[in-house]
Amino acid sequence: MPELAFVALTVLAVTTAIFALESKEVVYGAISLAIMLLSMAGFFILLDAPFVAMFQVIVYVGAVAVLIIFTVMLVREEKWLKVESGMLQRIGVIGGLAVGVAFGLLMLNTTLGSVIASGEAASYAQIGIVMINDYGAALEVLALLLAASLIGALMLARVDGEE
Amino acid sequence: MSQIRTFNDFLKRIAIVVGALVVILAVIFGILVFTVPQVKAFNNLLLASFSNPRLMLDFLDRHGVGFNSLLFRVVVFPGFTWAALIAAEVIWFERKFLAKMQVRVGPLYAGKIAGLLQPIADVIKLLFKEMISPARSDKLIYYSVPVLLMAIGSALLAIIPVSEAWLIMRSDVSVLAIFAVAGFGPLVVLLAGWASNSKYPFIGGLRGLHQLVAFEIPMLVSVLGIVLAAGTLDMVNVVQAQSSVWFVVLMPLGAIAFFCCMLAELERLPFDMPEAESEIVVGYMTEYSSMAFGNLQGLAAYIRFYAMAGIFTTLFLGGWHGPQILPAGFEIAQQVEWFTIKTLAVMVLVIILRGVAPRYRMDLLLRMGWARLLVLAFVNLFLVLLIIQMGWFPIKVGV
Repeated sequence: MPELAFVALTVLAVTTAIFALESKEVVYGAISLAIMLLSMAGFFILLDAPFVAMFQVIVYVGAVAVLIIFTVMLVREEKWLKVESGMLQRIGVIGGLAVGVAFGLLMLNTTLGSVIASGEAASYAQIGIVMINDYGAALEVLALLLAASLIGALMLARVDGEE
Repeated sequence: MSQIRTFNDFLKRIAIVVGALVVILAVIFGILVFTVPQVKAFNNLLLASFSNPRLMLDFLDRHGVGFNSLLFRVVVFPGFTWAALIAAEVIWFERKFLAKMQVRVGPLYAGKIAGLLQPIADVIKLLFKEMISPARSDKLIYYSVPVLLMAIGSALLAIIPVSEAWLIMRSDVSVLAIFAVAGFGPLVVLLAGWASNSKYPFIGGLRGLHQLVAFEIPMLVSVLGIVLAAGTLDMVNVVQAQSSVWFVVLMPLGAIAFFCCMLAELERLPFDMPEAESEIVVGYMTEYSSMAFGNLQGLAAYIRFYAMAGIFTTLFLGGWHGPQILPAGFEIAQQVEWFTIKTLAVMVLVIILRGVAPRYRMDLLLRMGWARLLVLAFVNLFLVLLIIQMGWFPIKVGV
């Protein structure tokens, strides 16, 4: 059963990813991107990590996909839709292949293949304890970064002379 | 056959159609009994179960569709049928109650007693209407929106614990699942507005997007206090943590923030900008007709209403806890009964607000969501932290 779900999710993710790039109608592309992100959440559930899956849905489908679709709907100009063929396309294909080969070589040289699942899956409480204890400093830096971007967004959105 | 003129004629016609169907099915079944051995065995079981109903229940349980199966829970009791029935009667109650508040009569004829069958008559009327879509609409998205909205409402039903033992799903992260499911709301509303390819739906869709996104974050933060106090993300454990004191007593600010966000998420007055009837003709639902409209405006919306009221009950009003009124041995029935009473009370409160509050303004609403409710939710969070740190209340902190 998990194998079947995995295959189904993989097919869904790859098809929707290809469709997101190739679709003539940009809105359909954005929607299939949202479905692709949703199928990623399915992978996390298969990996016994419902906590990560829920956040994948909340952040990527609930926020990122909505923003993308919103932007795409507002910017419906034909000139964005044309696919530039020629030099750029060739560079894109070669670059993509290079990145793929590099990742493949990296994978072969790591110990990823020998990792064996060790019984119990980690609960969110354990994740939280590790985050606070071992990675406390990194968490604080992340919080500062978020606060800075929030303040920056507020500054950008401020309208002078209001009230 | 005569023409249908009154509701009674209509009922007669329905009775004739259903009766004819029953007769035809009985004849087919009778033929099958003598030809197919499996049907004959089933028929014997059926006859035996008249004297001993236990046989039939065991048979159904063996095939995974009995009272103890997951299918029954999803489809019938804490799940869809139950919620749809509550939704239908809440629609009737809302219309009648608002009419009384405004010194009108309200539904009167269908169902003899105070128009009790009005929602069902409405649904039948909508089912018989033609489904029209605008010529230049995006048909695929246009027709999938009612289904998607229904899916959002129904998915929320799965995580509501109506009682300690009898519930659809128990998950470690069910509090997060609320937000994961509710996160689809803005997407679907925006797509509905866009796919209709029409002026008012698009305005309504954009309003819906802004409103739903703005109120999701204060909602999340107001629930953080509960997660801290209960020490868990499991809805069942959240209710168990409220056995001595309900969280609405402990964190009234959070309850107020959550309630306001709930109103905005449900697009109920005073925050019904996305569907404002008098400004933009029910917003993103303008172009929908027939049962698609009935689904958007009626069934799906009220199932979501019931689900959100149930979530409020679970998080703040102690879920199934309540004084014992049924004799021992009826624990599940009593828990379900207290949960339902509290949920209906929350729904009545929301309906009263519709009767007394005028519509808010869009920019004020967004400012309220981002600048007021978020602050309120954070104040609530810090108060809860203070209470937990000082140990003023005997809260069981988990982990």
